Amino acid sequence: MKQFNEEESKYAASAKAFRANVTRDLGNEELRSNFRGAMDYLMGKRKSAFSLADELEALREQCKLIKQRCLVKLPHLLEQLEDKLETNGIKVHWAETITEANEIIAQLIAQKNGKTVVKGKSMVSEETALNDYLEERNVECLESDMGEYIVQLAKQHPSHIIMPAIHQNKQQVAQLFADNIDGFEYSTDVDTLIQQGRTILRDKFCQADVGISGVNFAVAETGTLCLVENEGNGRMCTTIPDLHIAITGIEKVVEHLSDVPPLLSLLTRSATGQAISTYFNMISSPRKTGEKDGPKEVHLVLLDNGRSQAFADEELRQTLQCIRCGACMNHCPVYTRIGGHAYGTVYPGPIGKIISPHMLGLDATSNLPTASTLCGACGEVCPVKIPIPKILLRLREESVKPKSDQPQIMQGQGAGRSNVEALIWKAWAQVHESPKLYALSMWGLTRFRFLMPKKLGGWTSVRTAPKPAATTLHEQIKAKQAKQDKQLKNGQG
Amino acid sequence: MTKATVADIKVVSSNARGNILAKLKAEVKGAHYDKLPEESPYIYPEFSHQENLAQFVAELEKNHAQVIKTTKGLMAEVIREQLKALNIDKLLHGEGDAYHEVLTQLKASKVELQAYDFSIDNNKELLFNECPAALSSSRCSIAATGSIVLWPDENEPRSLSLVPPVHFVIVDANKLYADFARLIAANEWQNKLPTNVVLISGPSKTADIQQTLAYGAHGPKALIVLLLNSEEART
Repeated sequence: MKQFNEEESKYAASAKAFRANVTRDLGNEELRSNFRGAMDYLMGKRKSAFSLADELEALREQCKLIKQRCLVKLPHLLEQLEDKLETNGIKVHWAETITEANEIIAQLIAQKNGKTVVKGKSMVSEETALNDYLEERNVECLESDMGEYIVQLAKQHPSHIIMPAIHQNKQQVAQLFADNIDGFEYSTDVDTLIQQGRTILRDKFCQADVGISGVNFAVAETGTLCLVENEGNGRMCTTIPDLHIAITGIEKVVEHLSDVPPLLSLLTRSATGQAISTYFNMISSPRKTGEKDGPKEVHLVLLDNGRSQAFADEELRQTLQCIRCGACMNHCPVYTRIGGHAYGTVYPGPIGKIISPHMLGLDATSNLPTASTLCGACGEVCPVKIPIPKILLRLREESVKPKSDQPQIMQGQGAGRSNVEALIWKAWAQVHESPKLYALSMWGLTRFRFLMPKKLGGWTSVRTAPKPAATTLHEQIKAKQAKQDKQLKNGQG
Repeated sequence: MTKATVADIKVVSSNARGNILAKLKAEVKGAHYDKLPEESPYIYPEFSHQENLAQFVAELEKNHAQVIKTTKGLMAEVIREQLKALNIDKLLHGEGDAYHEVLTQLKASKVELQAYDFSIDNNKELLFNECPAALSSSRCSIAATGSIVLWPDENEPRSLSLVPPVHFVIVDANKLYADFARLIAANEWQNKLPTNVVLISGPSKTADIQQTLAYGAHGPKALIVLLLNSEEART
């Protein structure tokens, strides 16, 4: 059963190259130091934002239940959201695949003869690789979040979902600006760098005819798009140009306006340790008659891209509870060491490992669920209590399942299955089911221990090969008991 | 390479809508919406108005906003002093009753006043390049997070509080709510949201370069809060 084309996303190839990416990035000391510093900073910020442990636990439980309620009502809430938004004058579009979403946006822009687009931070638009799609159609699409702007200038993609340029230090940014911006004199002063970005981007806000943004919460009850941000670029993109197009995943809808405050509180505190972001922007309609600014048209594109596959399984559905705070990656020992680009996916870190298989298929991502020590930190800090380690185990299972004619739970199921590995496990199981076979195999293993190879693939690249003992544990205990019995007899004699 | 025929996005969207909703509905068929687990919110302690006000000011100051306790009568003088210190002689402002008194007083000074009485459509250059400071009112505020609620309308456009590099905002201490949840509940916001509502909790900022905080990323570099009725008891 083919649900989508794995090659549709450019990230399928980079995710497949996971092992090579890891080797490349682990060897980059500057990169590792940048991530270590940033993760220590973000963990500290989060910790200081939750001074009351009982408040944190109560909020996590509440927000988990809010998201689970909204998911179990998802189709109905999407219909309600669409209905409310249309009543408010916001047009709603639906897309099953990234190409559909990109085409809808490209045509909306073309209908208005749009040539210049400014974009607020949107991970969903990274998912669809919208910039590439628009560029091919001669539409300039400029990232306006400072981190995204840096990343775009460097022709990279974000390495973190909240802080996109976290893999670069200020010296690297200064060099990037000096190389790419006319008249910029190399400076590592962060204020100077930001003011340079501000000057360029304010001109663009002033000229742009289209603004594109993501959505943090879409409220079904009121037909409201909520955006969380600190810089003001999100407000610029959604206020100044004539046309505003928002794009989001179908899982971002919440039922009530009253669901927003606890989710917002957990989102900003888990992400950056802020009580609230500088701006919380709630958009419910385009410019009304008499109003002097705001876009004349507002559109929302709702994207599936594999989310309905996750939805179809109750355990995997929990993946969709995510509010994209990034706390799981900030606390992940693997992410901290390999960095965000090694995953090769749009969403890196623990959440990326459990959501990307639905977007790219297990064929491209079967390595990702194995890239975890299962230490549990991600599950512990997740503000909506997604059992990430449990889902990682489940995905490992899905990726090694034997191929069958039964309907698949996941596209690419069994992609990580190795016949040799499967055979070894089968033999292992048989040996352990029969005491005779077990004894025989242990005898063989100890007697022929000199046959143990010195090199055992990845295991011996950083360790010495294990060497079986000369006799089995059973034999050793038997020998010891015989000796004790003998001593006992001698003593009595 | 020949380009494929252009897809009709209305058809694409309508098909996608049908497929997505059908898939999702099949999965939640028969769900018991009346038997969902009870959600219990965390009960925050009640604070006095004075405590809430102190929290409001502390949060704003922590986020680099400047809070000046003043009165309706003295507000114009405060604005004039601040503008002078910033070397700014022009002020963009909204329209309506909230401004009447302060504008009358400011008119007597050297500050050039510019009402936001124009459509943004042909005036973006003016707004971006010739408006160094702006004055807006606010609807209410939130103590827990130090947030000021703006409720833009035809008198106070959305960009008034966004584009000029310095933003003066008039805040009435008597319209302070303990937290966002209580504010929404008390005012039944779910029944009456306007085009745009924005919560502002400081000047624009970013930590996108090596986690170093920098103010004035894209929006105002300075947020100056003119806090009225701060000494009076809540009525």
